[in-house]
Amino acid sequence: MTTLLRAPQKAAPKEPRRRGATERQRPLWLLTPGGLLMVVVILIPLVLALWISLIDLDQYTLRRWVEAPFIGLANYAESLDSGLLHSVWISVSFAVLATAATVPIGIAAAVVTQNAYRGRGVVRAVFLIPYVLPSFVVASVWRTMLQPDGIVNRILGTDGTLWLNGPKSYWTLVLVEIWAAWPFIYLMALAGLQSVDHEVHEASAVDGAGWWPKLTRVILPYLRGPVLLACLLATLNHINNFTLPFVLFGAPAPDDVNVMPMLVYVTSFQSLRFGLSAAMAVVSLILVLIPLFVYLRAVRLDVHDEGVRR
Amino acid sequence: MRTGKFLALAGATVLAAALTACGGDDDAGGGGGAGKTLDVLIAANTQYPDEFQAWQKSISDKFKAATGATVKFETFATANDELTKIQTSVVSGSGPDVYAVGTTFTPTAYSTGAFVKMGDEEWKKIGGKEKFNPATLGISGPDEQNQVGIPWVSRPFVMAYNTELLKAAGIAKPATTWDELTQQAKQLTKGDQYGLAVAYKDNFDPWKFVWGMSVQAGNPLVEGKTAKIQDPAVQKAYQTYFGWLANDKVVDPAAVGWTNPQAVAAFAKGKTGYFLLTTPTATNSLEQGAVKGKWAFALLPTVPPGATSRPANGVEAASILSGDNLLVADYSKNKDLAFEYVKLVTEPDVQLDYYKKFGSMPANAAALQTLSSDPKLGPVTEAAKKSVATPFTGAWGDIQLALTNVAVQSLPDLAKGSISTAQIDARIADAQKSAQSALDRAK
Repeated sequence: MTTLLRAPQKAAPKEPRRRGATERQRPLWLLTPGGLLMVVVILIPLVLALWISLIDLDQYTLRRWVEAPFIGLANYAESLDSGLLHSVWISVSFAVLATAATVPIGIAAAVVTQNAYRGRGVVRAVFLIPYVLPSFVVASVWRTMLQPDGIVNRILGTDGTLWLNGPKSYWTLVLVEIWAAWPFIYLMALAGLQSVDHEVHEASAVDGAGWWPKLTRVILPYLRGPVLLACLLATLNHINNFTLPFVLFGAPAPDDVNVMPMLVYVTSFQSLRFGLSAAMAVVSLILVLIPLFVYLRAVRLDVHDEGVRR
Repeated sequence: MRTGKFLALAGATVLAAALTACGGDDDAGGGGGAGKTLDVLIAANTQYPDEFQAWQKSISDKFKAATGATVKFETFATANDELTKIQTSVVSGSGPDVYAVGTTFTPTAYSTGAFVKMGDEEWKKIGGKEKFNPATLGISGPDEQNQVGIPWVSRPFVMAYNTELLKAAGIAKPATTWDELTQQAKQLTKGDQYGLAVAYKDNFDPWKFVWGMSVQAGNPLVEGKTAKIQDPAVQKAYQTYFGWLANDKVVDPAAVGWTNPQAVAAFAKGKTGYFLLTTPTATNSLEQGAVKGKWAFALLPTVPPGATSRPANGVEAASILSGDNLLVADYSKNKDLAFEYVKLVTEPDVQLDYYKKFGSMPANAAALQTLSSDPKLGPVTEAAKKSVATPFTGAWGDIQLALTNVAVQSLPDLAKGSISTAQIDARIADAQKSAQSALDRAK
């Protein structure tokens, strides 16, 4: 089996010395437009955010924001004191749960639509519906269904149960996010499946592999790269999702679903504490970056090393 | 290679040029109205988009005829959009010349210091301060000398009641005290019929009740730089407000999930006695429901809960001072034109036309007077006159948020059907803390 996997690699023999020549002539200046854009849309705002997190910027100082008093780390101290860690915990746990739940659904859906059959096109299109619907629409529809006298309670016979506030709201958020986000994993898994060579299918058929060993030992290893990448992106998307909790629960959010983006939003746009909210954003960024960095180092998301390359 | 480099350079130049162009320039030029453009920022009207377009056109034409200049309307969809616009304009010193902002947002806008303070001369330019309903000036500035907000429209809060249901329950006239209201609501609640429709999940309604009941009991919530939320009057207000659902059971339990439009819809079905906290803009929704022709407006009670008459220091607040103010930007290069515009839209005929199209009450006193003879609107015009301004402090946004948060966090208890005083007190303590810290930061 393993020899089978390695076979295609022969098609890409190493070319030892050509690298040096290309390196000398690499047109690095082509990066300039992209680089400039990065500086303008990412780097400068990031530096600004760092600066704002160190000053006392609110509606009183906004007009002459350059002169806003420098208060060092006071914003950071206050942010840790005002429920930020609670929000980070909710955000991260919810994101991980949502990702963990969407992966099996997404892969299963991809496998189901891999082989051609009548009506496959329709099934594929239907699978994409949650993904193409705007977040706002998804959240509005779910909010309507989850009203105390809404259709969900009527079907479940749980009249008057509160889904959009209280402890259950956390699970509502996870559930709706899963509903809206699983097609992303599905798409990535499907892309991975499509890149599996014909010969692999034929070879495992020749070897007499049943569908289950074939799936678990031959096909799924091919998916490792794309699905891990999808997991990473999906988790970050969950953490950054603002529209869904905002439309589902409104602002101020119930404590159980006061996710990071909601907290930062309320702090900056309802309390108008721009300095404090910038500090919150920076702290969250660091907290998210640490596991992300470790994870990236651990899995080395280089699809080309996974043997999926052609 | 050479051409490639050239292209890249050209690309970078185009990019840089595009970016500088984004900075914008709004030099509208010097003297005389002709050829100038006045930029007005105003809330989008999602309820009557076509009529709103037509209104903008007619104002624009009138303005052109009077001054030779054109008005360019910019709309914003949410309060947040508006805030972002104000922020960027304030920071960059350029943007709309005239802003229409909500009354409770006026203190926040004032605290940025980016708007023209109205002196005698400025008031004269727009036709004098006297032309406005005096109550509407209550939230124009921290004091008479420092006013920035020019009243434009008012949307006083009233309650709507089902005339047939009240009659059937033998209630001669709508309640004027909160206790009486609770009593009548109990009489009205039977079978699938409820006494009150209350939007517990609304993001703004809860604080309006709590503020109103407290101020009627003599506690304006803010005194100088001190927050007075941890106070018996506030506690009583929350108890009453939550009590309708938890203890008195006069509200549909589903109301824990209602925002204001949902409460309107519930009342419109004709199975509810009162719909608390609405404005004339809800008229169309009500007229389209089963309640059509069977409802009327009434003043909200002005006697605090637990009392039969208002205490000596209590204020007869029938509604928060609600509506829109016009603000002229300090950085505007077209201030005179801006005042011309403000003058135009606060004239009686324009104000009445606006009312007919969109249901917002005139801020102009004469125009308001002509509406008071309409029996349906009597209570509304009275509420407009008895509207009381919420405290004028830049911290109000935070205080309002803290008051609403008490309600938001209490919903799970309400859904279970009971809420203890201890729970209310703990949440009030949190609200007090954040309100006080907001006031401490106020400058």
